Amino acid sequence: MKRVFASAHVKRLFSALAALAILELMTGPPGSALAPTAGFTGSFGEPASFLGLFRTQRWVLFLFLALVMYGLWSAWLVWGQQVRTATAKAVSAPRAATRTRPVRWGMAVVVLAVALLLPHLITDPFWQAAMVEQIAVYVLLALGLNVVVGFAGLLDLGFVAFYAIGAYTTAWVTGALPTAAPFGIHFNNFYAIPIAIALAMGSGIILGAPTLRLRGDYLAIVTLGFGEIITIFANNLYGITGGSQGTNTIPHFSLHVGPIKYLWGLTPVPYYYLTIVFVILFIAGFKLLEHSRVGRAWTAIREDEVAAESVGINPLKYKVMAFAIGASTAGFAGVVTASQSNTIFPSSFTLQFSINILVLVIFGGMGSITGVVLGAIVIQTGSMYLLHTPPAGYQPQDLYIYLGALLVVMMIFRPAGLVPSRRRHREIGLAEKGEGHMNEVLTGDTP
Amino acid sequence: MSDKIFDVDHVTLRFGGVVSLNDVTLHQERGEILAVIGPNGAGKTSLFNSLTGVYQPQEGTITFQGSDAKAMSVIGKKPHRVSSAGVARTFQASRMFSALTAFENIKIGAESHRGIGVLGAMLRGPKTRRDERTSDERTVELLDFVGLRAKANVISSSLSYGDRRRLEIARGLATGPQVLLLDEPAAGTNPSEKLELTTLIRKVRDQMGVSILLIEHDMKLVMSLAERLYVLNFGSVIAQGTPEEIRANDKVIEAYLGSTATETGDRS
Repeated sequence: MKRVFASAHVKRLFSALAALAILELMTGPPGSALAPTAGFTGSFGEPASFLGLFRTQRWVLFLFLALVMYGLWSAWLVWGQQVRTATAKAVSAPRAATRTRPVRWGMAVVVLAVALLLPHLITDPFWQAAMVEQIAVYVLLALGLNVVVGFAGLLDLGFVAFYAIGAYTTAWVTGALPTAAPFGIHFNNFYAIPIAIALAMGSGIILGAPTLRLRGDYLAIVTLGFGEIITIFANNLYGITGGSQGTNTIPHFSLHVGPIKYLWGLTPVPYYYLTIVFVILFIAGFKLLEHSRVGRAWTAIREDEVAAESVGINPLKYKVMAFAIGASTAGFAGVVTASQSNTIFPSSFTLQFSINILVLVIFGGMGSITGVVLGAIVIQTGSMYLLHTPPAGYQPQDLYIYLGALLVVMMIFRPAGLVPSRRRHREIGLAEKGEGHMNEVLTGDTP
Repeated sequence: MSDKIFDVDHVTLRFGGVVSLNDVTLHQERGEILAVIGPNGAGKTSLFNSLTGVYQPQEGTITFQGSDAKAMSVIGKKPHRVSSAGVARTFQASRMFSALTAFENIKIGAESHRGIGVLGAMLRGPKTRRDERTSDERTVELLDFVGLRAKANVISSSLSYGDRRRLEIARGLATGPQVLLLDEPAAGTNPSEKLELTTLIRKVRDQMGVSILLIEHDMKLVMSLAERLYVLNFGSVIAQGTPEEIRANDKVIEAYLGSTATETGDRS
């Protein structure tokens, strides 16, 4: 009887109460001078429903949830070990199976089939549009940033710049900008793809060659600045970019080869298939890249730059390469978005956007292609769900509170991400034990 | 004409006011096992870092002469350039790619890092596949050579100290060097591992024809292995010669044991 009131239990109970109180404050209505405790008590105009059973004040709900959490926590301490061994056993067999090639290919085919059938299963127009604009495009962007952050271990906070370059290039090539299209010809959007990729890659190299000599934090600051510069350019160069109004006359993709004629239009499904094709191409390309000598050189630089140099790897060259590949992927995503939405304006290319993509990569698992794809799908679907069917009291700007909390929790319990890359997982494990050389992204400078 | 693989001429390296190498002149013959010894802080590792392009000495010249009879000045070159010219090295605190397997560690060394290779990797053309096969074969050869074949798929951070040292040597050899610089290879190894290491180092020279430049504190290992030695103290060369000559040199004994010591003896 006495043990129940032991300090560990009390501590746990208070931790649960505190955590839920913070959550309640986070999600609650803003307080005011007249009602400073509104965050806890809930305003009288908006009483929360107690699990849908009856209407009550918010703090009652949260007190109940805190008690449930305390109960679960205590139960975990008692039976956790058993549960963990049982799960490990249950998981290990399928995990071992996925290492074999036929199983992996089989899974890829199933995933592909689901991806292709998805627009027929989900017919809600909101979700069909979201699948292209908010999920497939973000998967592309996450794949690109993964090359920079995950493979090469460089922190890029200005990823949006290359996306903007891709989008504006599309507008330029198709003649939608105030400035004249190249050679006065309004090209088809498909021609914008190589040009956008080349321009984004070129600007990646121009930015990367001098700045990738910097380490860790400095690189992050420089890329952050670059992202801002591009946005400000887009905003202020009225005669070239159309200023803050941007443009809304970008044509759709169209195909006209011999007898085949096809025009992508306002409906999202054809765009979905187009994007899926490119996503598959990028995934295949990056998978091969990861297991090539280039991928190994990146790993070597990430783990120990000095040792990598001693075996003849030029770190600067490989970092610039990673940067350029990431940039061109973003440029490509820019083409898809610009063509699909017909509109671009500078205010959509913000720092928040860069950070959003970084969150997808970190959440999914830096360096793991499966991870970042899954991470992008999970987070983007989640935020779209909150936008589509917001729970009581939810406001769009609350999204980042939840994302932030999610990341904090992830970093504590699963620091290598949702589906960690095997190498990265080991690196983080080694770094925690104080062995090996921890990554620059995580520690800043490692001389 | 002697065939010098390394010719270090009046090299001075300073860090602000601290003189790390003071007017160092030394050379290494091709095919020689040369050792550099000296008390802690004598500048041995600074010398290694200058030879591999990590540090840039302010004065003097360092000339590396590869087998193709083209002399190269090391000073001003980046480490990766020096490495591709044919200088391999290991590190004092072994620096493996710890999260990779032994096989992958060596393979990274065996691969060419010239060109871009991105498109080749994405398309996996015949040349890429051929290169891949060549570096795989070379890796297996080297794993056999250093006796780590059975541990090819072990993550390098879980290897023993002795194995890590051998792996690092194999990784250096994978780059196809003319000379291998070993920075305290025997540190942290037990006596039987030391013996194996001595055999391995000699085998590298005899079978692969790679010259060896060695820094080591273990006098027994140095004296049995080296054909010639340089002694550094406070950044200057204070003695050179065969192991016998060094053993009898008063200046060396003074540097190691202090000037008041009159008893002679090795620190072995």
